[in-house]
Amino acid sequence: MNTTAIDTGLLERAVDKLPADALMPLRLKALRSFSETGFPTTRHEDWRYTNLAPIVEVSNLWLRDAAAGIAEATINDAAINDAAMEYASELASRIDAYWIVIANGMVHKASLTRLAGHALRGFDAVSLAGDDLMQPASGDDPMTRFNTALLRDVLRMTIRADNTLEKPVGLLIFDDASDGAALSQTRVIIETERNSRAEIIEYHASSGGHPHFANAVTELDLASGAAVNYVRIQNRDTAHFQSGRLMARLHRDSTFRHTAFDLGGGLIRNDVDVDILEPGASVELYGLYLASGQQHIDNHTRVDHRVGPAASTEEYRGILGDRSRCVFNGKALVHRGADGTDARQANHNLLLSEKAEIDTKPELEIYADDVKCSHGATVGQLDKSALFYLRSRGLDRDEAAQVLTRAFAATILAKSSVQAVRNHVESLIDQRLQTLAGGLS
Amino acid sequence: MLEIINLKARIGDTEILTGLTLSVNVGEVHAIMGPNGSGKSTLALVIAGHEDYVVTDGTVRFMGEDLLALDPEERARIGLFLGFQYPVEIAGVNNAYLLKAALNAKRRAQGEAEVDAFEFLKLAREKMALLNMDPALLNRGLNEGFSGGEKKRNEILQMAVLEPRLAILDETDSGLDIDALKAVAKGVNSLRDPEHAIVLVTHYQRLLDYVEPDFVHVLSGGRIIRSGDKSLALKLEEKGYDWVREAASA
Repeated sequence: MNTTAIDTGLLERAVDKLPADALMPLRLKALRSFSETGFPTTRHEDWRYTNLAPIVEVSNLWLRDAAAGIAEATINDAAINDAAMEYASELASRIDAYWIVIANGMVHKASLTRLAGHALRGFDAVSLAGDDLMQPASGDDPMTRFNTALLRDVLRMTIRADNTLEKPVGLLIFDDASDGAALSQTRVIIETERNSRAEIIEYHASSGGHPHFANAVTELDLASGAAVNYVRIQNRDTAHFQSGRLMARLHRDSTFRHTAFDLGGGLIRNDVDVDILEPGASVELYGLYLASGQQHIDNHTRVDHRVGPAASTEEYRGILGDRSRCVFNGKALVHRGADGTDARQANHNLLLSEKAEIDTKPELEIYADDVKCSHGATVGQLDKSALFYLRSRGLDRDEAAQVLTRAFAATILAKSSVQAVRNHVESLIDQRLQTLAGGLS
Repeated sequence: MLEIINLKARIGDTEILTGLTLSVNVGEVHAIMGPNGSGKSTLALVIAGHEDYVVTDGTVRFMGEDLLALDPEERARIGLFLGFQYPVEIAGVNNAYLLKAALNAKRRAQGEAEVDAFEFLKLAREKMALLNMDPALLNRGLNEGFSGGEKKRNEILQMAVLEPRLAILDETDSGLDIDALKAVAKGVNSLRDPEHAIVLVTHYQRLLDYVEPDFVHVLSGGRIIRSGDKSLALKLEEKGYDWVREAASA
């Protein structure tokens, strides 16, 4: 058996074991298209530095059980819900938001009621049917197909026109692998109607001592004049894996700000795809990844400027220690005729260990004439003259190093204007930096 | 207070200090003058403990301790302060945060209680008023986007808050307009008393019109070739450094 590929025979039987509900036609369609390609390998340019072999391995393990109809043994919804709800209430005490819990891919029904009366509507797969279910499904990549093929539930949410949400919507995506190797497919569809304004928090966490692969796909549609401030916090167990994809479609004069914090996880791949469909859109993408031990964190972003004028700004920063490895690839694609495009990208990395590795590639592809574009990447160590300056003021070496790494990270934290998460994220970053600084000489 | 004997130091393969001897007593103000490349900044950085410089000979004692055996932070905590010629900018490190951390590091080392946020702000605002500094600078990133003059005033602010036993100011006067120069001089003079000592490293005599030195030394080729009182600075201004060099070699 080829251990570097998903066993499609097992996958077919696993899909067949899922309930014959409204999702089934979509699953079967996705199964067919997935089977043609399988997972991407390092021969694909977009996956060159991220080898999915560990994810394939845990997937095949789980599929074997699922195909034999004993998947329920490893998806104990009741037990998972208890763990997830406990995590959610802890989180809710720190971050004030309308929290919705999605545990191992299943939307927690009771938490949907929190949206009622807040210019929001939320549905899961059971309350939706057929064609309504997946619009505006736009993804057509192997990870999204795999997600659709094994989908058990969907969260679909609408933010009503001309409304501004008083509090952020918090999506807790919680996965548990206490009872054996596990797989989860999370699917979220968010529509913001015209001139609505919302803050959205996507929070990933996991528990359990067995291997786990979380495959999450979020689709976001911004209508004319809508403004979304999105924060993604990935704080998974460092033994667990994730592929997360966010696909955003921007209409006239909409504003999208996305700030990503990768603090945990073993093997993590994030894709942010932004499609600018109408003029006047504004996109800001920020990210911070902190990696230590053997963590592998890969961030890919792509902004399609199909029309102009429109602006996109991007800045990702990484702090890497030990033998960690990170990847950044930011692509801005300015299509023919997208005049008046302003696209900027930057990626800065701080290496705290000689064994850490970063592969960074900001990319611009320009097919229009009247554009302003810039990109740049830096990789470096802590600035020696800054360290000396701080020490000459009485701070010891460790303290000075910590002040500087913190300052490096703080610039991204400052970009996220979702105030509700600020203190919590700041304390998570501080905790992580202490681990990272432990590896400093 | 500070006793430097036959100090030799190099960076890479280049020997910069070639046998420098200098003694500074408590309550004194010394000016060290000299042409570019004479070793003025190197002297300041070696005393502060910069790791790029290797001391090959000589001794430096400060407050009775072997200064060269101490880390830069230990030197700071026993009361040594270097005002940098080129203060670094660090975005994301709050100016007030650093100032308070520096003050408390020193107070801890000297067995004093740490200051709380309230006491600290009161102290910082008082010193800023003395230096005619915009209080808003306290909440900015360290020197982030500061003008040349603001950076130098910020160095003097740190000095004024930390009240070091010995302050070495490396070309703090360079690039300042007359208002900034007066403000800096005011800050320096406020530290001048029988408990403290100050070493001004400078290229020009201008600052010395506002801060009157007790001693003036001329540094050339990595050592002090002439010492005198404040009249030496005026003579240098008039006759240039070649005059001292010729006189020294004659």
